[in-house]
Amino acid sequence: MPSVALKEPQAGQSGARWPARSGLWGATAAREEARLGRWLVLPVAAVTVALVIYPLVLGFETSLYAAGSTLSARGNFVGAGNYAEVIKDPATISAALHTLEYVGICLVLQLAGGLVTAVALRRAFRGRGLMFGVLIMPWALPSVVSGVLWRRFFAPDNGLLNSLLLHLHLIHNAQVWMATGWAIPWIAVVHVWGTLPLITLILLAGLQSIPDEVYSASAVDGATPARQFWHITLPLLRPALVVAAIIGLVDAVTIFDEIYVLNGIALNTSSVVMQVYNLIFVQADFPHGIAFAFLIAAFSALLAVVALIAARLRRTA
Amino acid sequence: MKPSPAARALRTIVIVVIAAWSLGPVAIGVLTSISSQNDVQAVPARWWPHQLNLDAYRAIVGGVHSAGTVAGCVGCNTAADASAFGQSLLSSVEVTAEATLATLLVSVVAGYALSRLRFRGGKVLLWAVVGTLVIPLFTLVVALFRMMVELHLINTQLGLVLVYLSAEAPLAMWLLYNHCRDLPPEPEEAALMDGCTRWQAFRMVVLPQMRSGIAALAAIVMLLTYGQFLIPLLLGSTPSTTPVTVLITEFVGKYTTNYPILAAAGVIAVLPPAIIALLLNRHIRGMLSGATG
Repeated sequence: MPSVALKEPQAGQSGARWPARSGLWGATAAREEARLGRWLVLPVAAVTVALVIYPLVLGFETSLYAAGSTLSARGNFVGAGNYAEVIKDPATISAALHTLEYVGICLVLQLAGGLVTAVALRRAFRGRGLMFGVLIMPWALPSVVSGVLWRRFFAPDNGLLNSLLLHLHLIHNAQVWMATGWAIPWIAVVHVWGTLPLITLILLAGLQSIPDEVYSASAVDGATPARQFWHITLPLLRPALVVAAIIGLVDAVTIFDEIYVLNGIALNTSSVVMQVYNLIFVQADFPHGIAFAFLIAAFSALLAVVALIAARLRRTA
Repeated sequence: MKPSPAARALRTIVIVVIAAWSLGPVAIGVLTSISSQNDVQAVPARWWPHQLNLDAYRAIVGGVHSAGTVAGCVGCNTAADASAFGQSLLSSVEVTAEATLATLLVSVVAGYALSRLRFRGGKVLLWAVVGTLVIPLFTLVVALFRMMVELHLINTQLGLVLVYLSAEAPLAMWLLYNHCRDLPPEPEEAALMDGCTRWQAFRMVVLPQMRSGIAALAAIVMLLTYGQFLIPLLLGSTPSTTPVTVLITEFVGKYTTNYPILAAAGVIAVLPPAIIALLLNRHIRGMLSGATG
């Protein structure tokens, strides 16, 4: 299951609505407010520091040392050495290229599919509520379990995909899909199956923020639906498209569950996170695994920031 | 504006295709789970089983199977696997309930405080906590594993719950912060004017206002927790800490080509999240699209 989207912050709203109070009573009330506030945020702050910040620092430290003789021991300080080795590793490069392929396919399918779905669901119709329940189903299911349900589809010999394509005479021999060049595209399709609902909901919210009058006014001026789509819908939808693209992007960069269930740790479909898993879980090489994980995290954060800045520049330009 | 008949027909087609795409894999899973191994192995494949066959469910739930050995799996002990499957479902449900409760307790009060109370450091804390959302969980797993070993929390549900809490509380807090900020502030103002303390106003006025937001968030956190895979794969190896997501991948390794048994396990495993999604879809939808607004 993919992550959840984030709204852009709106500054200067919190706490600003209260009537001004003066004198001693106001000062006491403000103190009471501040004390209560600090108590109420204490648990979340403690959890974040203890279980996110601290392990982050601990992990970063591990990534700077060579592997020790035992799993809990550590070797000599190597600085950025582990990072350099990870970048030069051929397995890293092939995993990175695969991930690029996953990301490209996922983004195109998600945005195109999400746009079509959102447009179709924009206006009310009978059964739309039920349809939404159906729509979010793939997002709600654990991606590992979805992968298990898809497995028979890609089975070699008499899998459903083979049977279908043979029947349609699109292929002449049954394919071992997970061993061919089609393995990555098909795994990407399974990934998109799970993420499309979220992308659709984001785009739908964007669509519904476009006022109906824009459409009726342009229709009066003789615009065809196709021209309306190109000249009204797409430009006005750009903020939502950017958010959807960033979420789809970060999600696809970290693709793992579907690969694990459909093709295990096989090299021909390995993604960057799969390579981290391989280093940490299979080879028990913690320093290199963590170094790689940090590189991926930094890279996807950078991508998201660049995309946001690019979107903002284009909006102001 | 009224759409033309052609546009309406096109929309109907698109909607049917989306419904088929969304439910197709689940439907194939259900059909596979009631097929016999003969149906599944037939060439060409039989999408529709020749007759209803509940052997897969008997094996996965009751630990019995009609033949002496399970096809596609030599030396499998279905009785042991069935009991492990039941145990893992129970564990998934328990840990999901515990983690959801913990996440809500922590994030409801924090979301309220950050959106409604003025205190020094509030803004900084909000952004620091929300900022941790960009840190992928897999960068933390090794350090978390070591911490859990040191704290003797490895292979305990408490250890898993703490890690899920740290992963989900920032998101939950952020969504509730937005939700709380969008609620009308007048009821709380009136309560304060009437002499309530801030805490009383929160408990008796704001908390009831937040009910639908909390319900939506509970659903989202439940779905996220139930779907966790990498964390329990690392932090839990005992029956009470192996969720159904992890167990099902073990089954994939064991019952490689016994699709009916795998599908039956998958169908049972998706029941809890599917029910939540269907029952609470309106709330979930509002929270997800509201979150991106």
